[in-house]
Amino acid sequence: MIIDSSKTRPSLSDYYSETMCTWCDGCGNYGIWTAVKMALVELNLRPWQVCLCYDIGCNGNGSDKIEGYRFHGVHGRVIPFAAGVKLANMKLPVIAFGGDGATFSEGVGHLVHGLRSNYPITFVLHNNGNFGLTTGQSSALSWQGRPMNWNPNGIPERTLPSMEFVFSLQPTFVARGFTGNIKLMARILSAAIQHRGFAFVDLLQACPTYNHFATHNYLLDRCYDANAEGHDPGDIEEAKALATQSEDRIACGILYQREDVPNFYERLVPRKDVATTCVEEVKKYDVSMYWKHLS
Amino acid sequence: MTRFSIKIVGASGQGINSIGAIIAKGLKRAGHFVFGYREYPSLIKGGHASYQLDISSAPLRSTERKVNILVALNHHGLEQNLGDLAKGGVVLHVTPDWRFPEHDQNLIKERELRLFYLPAAELLKELGAGNVFSNVLLTASLWSMIGQDVETLKSLIQARFASKPELAALNVKCIEKGFSFFERKTEEALELPPPETKVKDDLLLTGSDAMGLGAIHAGVRLFAGYPMTPASPLLSFIADLENATHTVVKQAEDEITAAQIVSGAMFAGTRALTATSGGGFDLMSETISLNAMIENPTVFVLAQRPGPSTGLPTWTSQDGLLQAVHGAHGEFAHCVLAVSNSQDAFDLMPAAFNLAERYQISVIVLTEKQVAEALYTQTPYDLENASIDRGRLITDAMQLKALKSSDRYCSEADGGVSPRWLPGSLAPTYCAQGDEHDSKGAVDESEEIRRAQTVKRLRKSDLLKAQLSEPDLAVTIGCQPHDSAELELGQKLDMLIVSWGSSSDVIRDVLRSDEFSQQKIASLHYTYLWPLRTDRLERLARQAARVVLVEQNFRGQLGMLIRMECGLNITEKILKFDGRPFFYDEMRTLLQEKLEPDKQRWTTAATMQLSTNLCDPM
Repeated sequence: MIIDSSKTRPSLSDYYSETMCTWCDGCGNYGIWTAVKMALVELNLRPWQVCLCYDIGCNGNGSDKIEGYRFHGVHGRVIPFAAGVKLANMKLPVIAFGGDGATFSEGVGHLVHGLRSNYPITFVLHNNGNFGLTTGQSSALSWQGRPMNWNPNGIPERTLPSMEFVFSLQPTFVARGFTGNIKLMARILSAAIQHRGFAFVDLLQACPTYNHFATHNYLLDRCYDANAEGHDPGDIEEAKALATQSEDRIACGILYQREDVPNFYERLVPRKDVATTCVEEVKKYDVSMYWKHLS
Repeated sequence: MTRFSIKIVGASGQGINSIGAIIAKGLKRAGHFVFGYREYPSLIKGGHASYQLDISSAPLRSTERKVNILVALNHHGLEQNLGDLAKGGVVLHVTPDWRFPEHDQNLIKERELRLFYLPAAELLKELGAGNVFSNVLLTASLWSMIGQDVETLKSLIQARFASKPELAALNVKCIEKGFSFFERKTEEALELPPPETKVKDDLLLTGSDAMGLGAIHAGVRLFAGYPMTPASPLLSFIADLENATHTVVKQAEDEITAAQIVSGAMFAGTRALTATSGGGFDLMSETISLNAMIENPTVFVLAQRPGPSTGLPTWTSQDGLLQAVHGAHGEFAHCVLAVSNSQDAFDLMPAAFNLAERYQISVIVLTEKQVAEALYTQTPYDLENASIDRGRLITDAMQLKALKSSDRYCSEADGGVSPRWLPGSLAPTYCAQGDEHDSKGAVDESEEIRRAQTVKRLRKSDLLKAQLSEPDLAVTIGCQPHDSAELELGQKLDMLIVSWGSSSDVIRDVLRSDEFSQQKIASLHYTYLWPLRTDRLERLARQAARVVLVEQNFRGQLGMLIRMECGLNITEKILKFDGRPFFYDEMRTLLQEKLEPDKQRWTTAATMQLSTNLCDPM
């Protein structure tokens, strides 16, 4: 990667990586990959100015297909790592990516506390309804009854109602996109990155290899831009209704957003009126005043 | 060295800690070295707990099982702790009309114990004070018993209630009452070892306080943790100071989260810390393995308590050494070190962060419940000593611009330590890649890359080992500290003791006692436990008539590592694994036995006698 700071604005090519893409033909990750780059460019962010954190799964295989400071961690744990990066350096936009497999199984506790803490990060859910990279096991979001690897007789567990779950945790930003509509995803991501607190972005994507129920065509038939149809993201009741309804039509766009809730960092009393970041504050500290009461 | 000890016993939550803390503070201010030791069960109210203070005019960091004064806040203390008293010991209690059973009456006679009943309820009634003041009465009475000045105690209590003058006044009345109760018995007063004036300005703190101060000193700006004894006091200490220090403190939803948050924060470039005990550390081990792969400097405090499982939550242990050394999957370089007392609990925090950043590895700092919660008399710390070493971290704009993405994990880097730069730096970017990767962090599963990167990551271990300190050597000849350099020249030793963690201070105290005046003994004390340096040990072992391993676990875990690393098999062991630390008098006996010829080769601490047939080690 060569830094050309002579240009006034970044371009998509700044995010170009020489590493070849290895996703399956028709995988929704291509669309997400493109939309992320578009959103970052639109926000005038250069690769060195962002931190992209990837969970394990097919989403994580994108960690070396893009430029930017990146991290590719362990299964289900991307939210707390990304939160740690952000809390240490509030000047850095931090985006975390994870699949529905990791996020609603091994990492579900982190999602709960990420929403509850309202960390100032963006979380992008690569929602393809299964564990793709481990070859097609059911996730908590796969449809009950569907045969999957390891469940040849059909999934016995109920499907986890992800949007009801998320809304029960009083989110401050909920959006849904569909990987067939890259422009809409880019708009959503751009708003999410600028959001004050924890932005939950659910991106519905096809998994042409393993998901034979919510296919690209299935999603194409149902997804629509709810904001274009007049949905107001400030209306929580309507947002909830739209988010949880996915039978006939699937509402996409920014479903819910409020900017009046302080994020985790803003609630930290010790950080009030501190202009520097934790990264900038590393030095040797005189601690003699803290042992006065111990003598 | 003359020692004196006071043990305060009662139910958890009855206030034994506050009595202990006040007495300790008062005595320290009067010029005495004090060492405080707590025993308590894992519950909030009730249960039998104790707070013991050992006092001397020379530095001491150990607890003696036989005490001179027993203060019993309830009758359970009279039932259970009478046997703890040394000959001529004194009991101060508040239980009216207590009738000692026959065997206790015999004990009282045999040991010539003196008993004092403080009619707390009546005295408080006279003062119009509630039952909560009974501890103040007791404290004052005890204070008078040990011949201390009443004004010192008053000023301590008044300082505590500075904002509540009415409460302070009532406290002072209680102090006067309690003090005068015993004052009338002047002929009974006990004499403490003479005070040493220079102790006055020393600190009185726990190993956790020391570690917290060390962490802040080292530049820790973010702390994440999940509650678990005995790591929790460190979190409390840092949290209590958060407004003054502007530290980001996060109580995480579990230990995995805590480990991931601090790893993210370290990746971003700050200094961040987490602490836990064995069970929580199990959960963190996956993250430690991740940090090894992305070469992310991190520091984890592992505060040991006896496992397996929940084990003994509020007791002490050294059973986590092998867990720290071998806990996480894969092969990688990391460093394990152990604190022993309030001095190195402070010193090793900047050292741990420097090692982590210098080698881009995880550093695990072991502590023990005994160190975490013991109360130490500590000279104020030298704040000039530590430096902040961030290793190959690049922050200079020109140097950043000159970087290539492939510099980050360059396998040819000197000693395997490649340049590191932070997200947000105006420089080429890279991926901190948990999968096997090439030099810029792109996933690469080829044989060549796998070999090159594995070697890169593990080469750091050789470099680290060569630069770590050898274990500390303390030599005592005729119970006097001796120049250890002389010993290196091949002098014969009667005994070489090998230990780590809290045991070493007990050993040091014991070796200064008269019992060892005819012996030439060296104590080798490991602080840096992994990678393990054995040169000095091997050399000294050849000079010693006997080598004795001292550890607070069943298997002799350091002994196992020593044998693994250099083949030296230490067959003489003193091992303790009952949740209690080594006590001064216990250690003295155990070491004396080791010096007797033809003694059994395997010794366990007094309370847990094992059949040598069953457990003869090798």
